Formats: sequence, C-alpha cells, structure tokens
Amino acid sequence: MSGSEIVFYVFAAVAVVSAIATVTRKNPVVAAVWLVATFFAVAVNYVLLSASFLAVLQVLVYAGAMMVLFVFVIMVLDVDEAGDTEHRRPSRVGRLGYSLALLLSGGMVIWVLVSTLSKQFITPGARLDPTGDFGSANAVGRRLFTDYLFAFEGVSLLLLAAVIGAVVVARSRREREKEAAAAGMSAEAMAAAGLEPPEELVPGPNPQTDFGQPSAGGHEGGT
Amino acid sequence: MIPITHFLYLAFGLFVIGMLGVLLRRNVLIVLMSIELMLNAANIALVAFSRLHGNLDGQVLAMFTIAVAAAEAAVGLAIVVSIFRSRTGTDIDDLSLLRD
Repeated sequence: MSGSEIVFYVFAAVAVVSAIATVTRKNPVVAAVWLVATFFAVAVNYVLLSASFLAVLQVLVYAGAMMVLFVFVIMVLDVDEAGDTEHRRPSRVGRLGYSLALLLSGGMVIWVLVSTLSKQFITPGARLDPTGDFGSANAVGRRLFTDYLFAFEGVSLLLLAAVIGAVVVARSRREREKEAAAAGMSAEAMAAAGLEPPEELVPGPNPQTDFGQPSAGGHEGGT
Repeated sequence: MIPITHFLYLAFGLFVIGMLGVLLRRNVLIVLMSIELMLNAANIALVAFSRLHGNLDGQVLAMFTIAVAAAEAAVGLAIVVSIFRSRTGTDIDDLSLLRD
C-alpha cells in the first residue's frame, strides 16, 4: 500500500466519521466544528486528486469564511443546546421524511454499487496521467478567465445579489419600520404592510413627551 | 494508485449522510450544514471525474459550486435569523410560512 493510498483511506474515514458526527450532534456549535473537520478531510482528498488550488479554496472559503458565518449566526441566535424538539413525536411531514430518506439512500446504495461494480459506467482505461501543472492556480485561472469568463462574471453578480438579499432579509422589524418611515410611507400603509409605525409618525397629543419610552408590542421578539 | 471508484464511494457516502441530515434533522442550522455536506460530496465527484479524464472543467465547475454554496449559506442563514426573530425557534417543523 503506497503512501497516497494510506493518506486517502485515513482521510476518507475522517471525512465520513466527522460527517456522521455533524449530522448527529445536538449542539449546533459542536456540529459546526465537526463540519470543519470534514472540510479539511475533503481538502486533503482534493490534493490527492491533484486539485491543489481547489483544496486551498476549500480551506479558505468553507473552513474559513463559511464556518465563521455559521458560528456567528449560532451565537447571534443564542440557541440553547437542549435540543428537546428532536425527541418530539415526528409529525406527518417528519414521517414522510423518514420514509423518503430510507427510500432515497437505499436506492442510491443500490444504484452506485451496481453501476460501479458492473464497470460499464466507469472505464478504468480512460485514466489520464495529469501533467505537472494540472489543477494549479495557473491552469485553473487560465481556464476560468478564458472559457468560463461569462460564468465567472455571473457568479460575481450572484454573490452581490446574495449579499444584498442577506442584508435585506435579516433586517429586524424595527429597522424595517425605520426604513419605511424614511421612505415616506404613511402610517396607514405601514399598518397595512404589517408594520408598526414609529412613534413620531403616530398622531398624538404630544409625541415628544413619551420619547424614549419602550412601546408595548412593537419591538422584535415581543410576540 | 487509488481507484477512481473509491473517491466516488466517498462522495456517495458523504452525500447520503448529508441527505439523511436534511431529511431527518429538525434544527435548521444542522440542515444547512447537511446541505453543505451534500455540495461537498458533489464537488468530490466532479474533481474525481476531472482527474479521470484529465480535463480541468470539473475543477472549474467545483469552484462555481463553492461560490454558489457561499451565497446559499449567506441567504439561508439570513432567513434563519429572520425566522428566529419572529418565532424564537429553529425547529423546521414549526416553519411553514415565509412571512410573519
């Protein structure tokens, strides 16, 4: 058994074990840490497949940026680790999920085993030995900026849309009310949109006197 | 030399684990992490076939997958934050509306 084979089997086992740990942990923070372990093991497998630049990207984007995003959101949400909802009786949708999961995974096991063992799907003789810079940043970047330039620019547009979408979706109710007031929306229109008008918009005898008083039900999380 | 089918078995295993996580778990955050697992499994298969055929297109496609996964995680977590504010919970069985 050569060195690369040992590395592959060790890190494939690490990837599978930590993936199982990711989906079985109750605490989302622990699951996120196991997910980082999975990402590192997958990055090692990319190196074995002579995709070194992609391995670097995997560590930077997944294990770096995306996991920080996950952990930040978990901290912001302040989820307790009780996880008692997992032990509730499964709903009808939940039972459908169980049977669908069994059906899909069982079908995939059979399909993959049949198609790989029968050797009609994968021809081992088609294997090419890669040249020296196969998978390097130079080769991949050249491909990315010539053949795939349009798709590359499209991805940049997609990321911009995702940033704007995330900011818009994650606004709190108070921020939305403030924006609606700044846009000149009337109190009636805001009430029709399900928003509580800020206090300076509500016609009252003297709005300045109750400045700073917390409103009864307008704040986030009050319901 | 590692046979290409073993990489495909690894990708398949990760994909099934992620799919079971999506279908069986109730915590939204774990479901999002399972989706990332499935995208990673697809990436392994893409890179394995790219190596098999000596063609770099698979790696470029895997890069696009990473970018789309980042966008998906950002928007998905923003939706989770928004839902958590109005419903104070991350149980997906309680979520059937995309409005408050």
